Amino acid sequence: MNVTDLPILSIVTFLPLVGVFAVALFPATYTRQVALGFALVTWVVSLLVLVGYLPGRPGEQFQYVEQADWIPIFGIQYRLGVDGLSAALVVLTTTLTWISILASWKPIQTRIKEYMISFLVLEVGMIGVFLALDLFLFYIFWEVVLVPMYLIIGIWGGADRIYATIKFVLYTLVGSLLMLIAILATAFAYQAAHGGSWVGAFDFHTLRDFAATGGFSPALQVGAFLAFFLAFAIKVPMFPFHTWLPDAHTEAPTAGSVILAAIMLKLGAYGLIRFAVPLFPDAALTFAPVIIVLSLIAIIYGAIVALVQPDLKRLVAYSSVSHMGFVTLGLFVFTEQGVQGSILQMVNHGLITGGLFLLVGVLYERTHDRTIAKISGLAGRMPVWAAVFGFFVFASGGLPGLSGFVGEFLTMVGTFAVSPAAAIAALVMILAAGYLLYMYGRLVFGEVSDFVTGLGDHMTDMGPVEVLTLVPLATLIVVFGIQPGLVLDLIRGTVDDTLRSVSGAAALPVGNEVVLIGLGLLVVAVLARVGWALAAGRRTTTDVAISDGGAAR
Amino acid sequence: MISADVVAILPLIAAVLTAAAILVVDIAWPGRDPIAIGTALVGLAITAVVTIAVGVNDATAFGGSYKVDALTTFLDVLFITVVAMTVVFAPDYLLPRSLPIAEFAVVLVFAMTGAMLIAGSADLLLLFLGLELMVLPGYLLAGYHKTDGYSTEGAIKYFLLGSFSSAIFLFGLAFVWGLTGTTRIAGIAESLAAVAAGTTPLSAGLAMGLAFLTTGVAFKIAAVPFHYWTPDAYQGSPTPITGYLSVGPKVGAFALILRLFVEALGPLAEWWLPVMIVLAALTMTLGNLVALTQDNVKRMLGYSSIAHTGYMLVGLAAYAAGELRGLEGLLYYGAAYAFMNLGAFAVIAALQKRAGVTSSLSTFAGLGRREPLLGVLMTLFLLSLTGIPPTAGFFAKAYVILAAVQAGGWLTVLAVIAMLNAAAAAFYYLRVVVYMFMRDPASDAPALRHGALMWGGLAAATVLTILFGLIPTPLLEIVNQAACAIAADPCVAAAAQAIP
Repeated sequence: MNVTDLPILSIVTFLPLVGVFAVALFPATYTRQVALGFALVTWVVSLLVLVGYLPGRPGEQFQYVEQADWIPIFGIQYRLGVDGLSAALVVLTTTLTWISILASWKPIQTRIKEYMISFLVLEVGMIGVFLALDLFLFYIFWEVVLVPMYLIIGIWGGADRIYATIKFVLYTLVGSLLMLIAILATAFAYQAAHGGSWVGAFDFHTLRDFAATGGFSPALQVGAFLAFFLAFAIKVPMFPFHTWLPDAHTEAPTAGSVILAAIMLKLGAYGLIRFAVPLFPDAALTFAPVIIVLSLIAIIYGAIVALVQPDLKRLVAYSSVSHMGFVTLGLFVFTEQGVQGSILQMVNHGLITGGLFLLVGVLYERTHDRTIAKISGLAGRMPVWAAVFGFFVFASGGLPGLSGFVGEFLTMVGTFAVSPAAAIAALVMILAAGYLLYMYGRLVFGEVSDFVTGLGDHMTDMGPVEVLTLVPLATLIVVFGIQPGLVLDLIRGTVDDTLRSVSGAAALPVGNEVVLIGLGLLVVAVLARVGWALAAGRRTTTDVAISDGGAAR
Repeated sequence: MISADVVAILPLIAAVLTAAAILVVDIAWPGRDPIAIGTALVGLAITAVVTIAVGVNDATAFGGSYKVDALTTFLDVLFITVVAMTVVFAPDYLLPRSLPIAEFAVVLVFAMTGAMLIAGSADLLLLFLGLELMVLPGYLLAGYHKTDGYSTEGAIKYFLLGSFSSAIFLFGLAFVWGLTGTTRIAGIAESLAAVAAGTTPLSAGLAMGLAFLTTGVAFKIAAVPFHYWTPDAYQGSPTPITGYLSVGPKVGAFALILRLFVEALGPLAEWWLPVMIVLAALTMTLGNLVALTQDNVKRMLGYSSIAHTGYMLVGLAAYAAGELRGLEGLLYYGAAYAFMNLGAFAVIAALQKRAGVTSSLSTFAGLGRREPLLGVLMTLFLLSLTGIPPTAGFFAKAYVILAAVQAGGWLTVLAVIAMLNAAAAAFYYLRVVVYMFMRDPASDAPALRHGALMWGGLAAATVLTILFGLIPTPLLEIVNQAACAIAADPCVAAAAQAIP
């Protein structure tokens, strides 16, 4: 039996699930080791997938495809496949999972078994989302991700964790349930056009080819695209659907924040690239201007709000909103550089923001406070931390030579080709430098603050394990910064596919149905917002945390 | 040689014999609960086997007033399973409160017989007979804890509104009978087909009759605005009985709807479609909104069961709009709902094994730490009720929604309303999870020991909840056949559709 005959994608997806059972059965003393072991093995297998993936093999964009009938009555299949984008994101997932488990080694001391089980289930869901080529299967994995993250924030999070976790779940659920309707409507439209045969009605490739021939009616395209878009935009999160993010990030335990920022936000961006655009290209073109404007708002708004955040984690969270704006911006300008930059930015944001949250977590473990104003003069107390933090801060600010620069640069080049609006995004680089350097300066330089002095011996520098969690991220940031071609080669097929799907598309005339469906969804969004306000009544959620910041709430 | 008529009702005979056997056993060995429970379970198993054996061939009996078809068999087996699980879950709650189990089982099996009679009725009178046989034991059960004020209060409310709605329903039946001249469902369908075709005008009396029937049925399924009895009856009843009441009579009332609205009133589907759309939208929205504010888990599940009625009505509306899949979805939903809801109530019953434990949210505080397995199972049932994959509740919801989307038009709007409701419902279901896993236990009470029966029943509910979510095909084929049995249009077996 040849190695390539093994269902390697199923193995990489479900190995963590085996780990779940192993963790459950082994004595509690070995929980961490068993979980780390499974995460590492999964990581190795995912690397095999990446190494074995051959970019640019003609006619075979998706490789290692596995296919089996699942619910044949509806043509629903168990279908997995990997292309350059999936491969990159799966490896990012598996890498950050073992890093997260390592980073949780000391901070998590209660209910370790449940914690590790949640993390491994989360990994199954995330990998599944990146590999599923059947819309129904995709949806299942998409929802599977929700529950463990809900528990991770809700059980091991900060003081206001329950508010944050329920907000996170409800926001995500509203989007994804509407997406379920869109998935079913899409499948049904395909079935109706094929004489009632459900074969292929949930299959990504059949649907994409059907869409390319103009199979879906304008009304369906508009409705389904908006539903998909809403689900993904909430996850990305795009302005104005971002308000769950600062709460979730702030309250989640360190590893939870890392996974949220590095992987879960990518689920949304991945969904846009993989499904929303190729399946409904006309609608995507129609709404592209709106989405570009929203992206620009997110970029600017995120940066401005980050400037005034007194809480370290909230600052990084808002910088995420800003950085993820580049991802959606680059994608929806539909130029080669734009899409390349968008995907590159996804990977980079995962590495950089993942690293930043790890470092904030290291600091928080010592101070148990994230208020920037209280902490200063760390350069002398924690020199290694200060140096590593500086590296990630510069990477986040887009220092040339590090990977963050390449993604944002390509995105802007791609955007300039379409509109001079890119200049606005370029200006934000200055703001980003502003909030990052200001924050860094406050924390690291200057006199050692009384608060830090008061902590005495707790303020030890980073230990070897903590450094180890950051080494892979830092290495990749440097490598991709100098040689972005590594990623660009890998994703060339995906970029071509995306551009090809919109090249034949034409923006829909903004007629009655577009306006009506758009208005309808707007009403839905407003209702959902009002419903949330009623349900969570006593709370007000301002984006700009005042005076004492989120930590005290 | 047994006549064909008797063969057709053998399942009913088996059910009645089961109840009788439990009575006899209880008289012979009073207070020996294991024997009574054993008798009940064996009897129910035999009834199930007989039902399936009889259901192999379609048949009509007693001059066409009773019939056996795929729908009858499906519903019968569902009722039997529901009752068997209720019997299994009951001892943990009843024993510590020194409530007798044998009588409980007897009453339950009689109620089941009524539900089975509904499922096989081809005649309005039989339908009504079945309905009363199903709900009368329900009143008894609701007041089973007779020294408990809440139980009695709930029972009285349930009884008064139940009798009231039965009377309305009967009144409607009288009108329909008087104006169509027959009580046979097929006969009514025929004369209504003439009305639908426009050859005969719809008389005012018939319209009134139909309105009364709708109202009566809406009471029975607790559709908004006829739902007021539900929360009190659910909160007051002993927990295992609440579990049964939220599932058994509900599915039974839906059986009534299937026989009455789909079969008898099928020709007028276009007329009652708008009513169903409005009922469905109101029912799920109001049920969910009120459930959001509940602090008592039983009461919360009571309101949530109202919301679930709404989701099932979406399936019915989709059928009225011409999608057979709506009917299949309704049946699938019924089965999925039965097991996940029973499971959730079983966990509450297990917690209440310690006498004096209420079903308020605080009871669940720290459950994940005190009794991790119960906590995990409860989470699974709640996730299924929310509709998160890969559970039965998710697939059922997806299926109903698919039918609605397929029907198009206003049904699509209804689908969107249903999904927004599902998102809102997540709030109160997950709040229980918050209490179980994210709060510390209120007291240091030691973990309770639960009987093998309880664990066995929970295992069955768990397996079914996951199975119907992950491998839906077998159940899909069954509900397809069942739906085909009463569909107006000739039915294409779903399996055949899949072949390109």
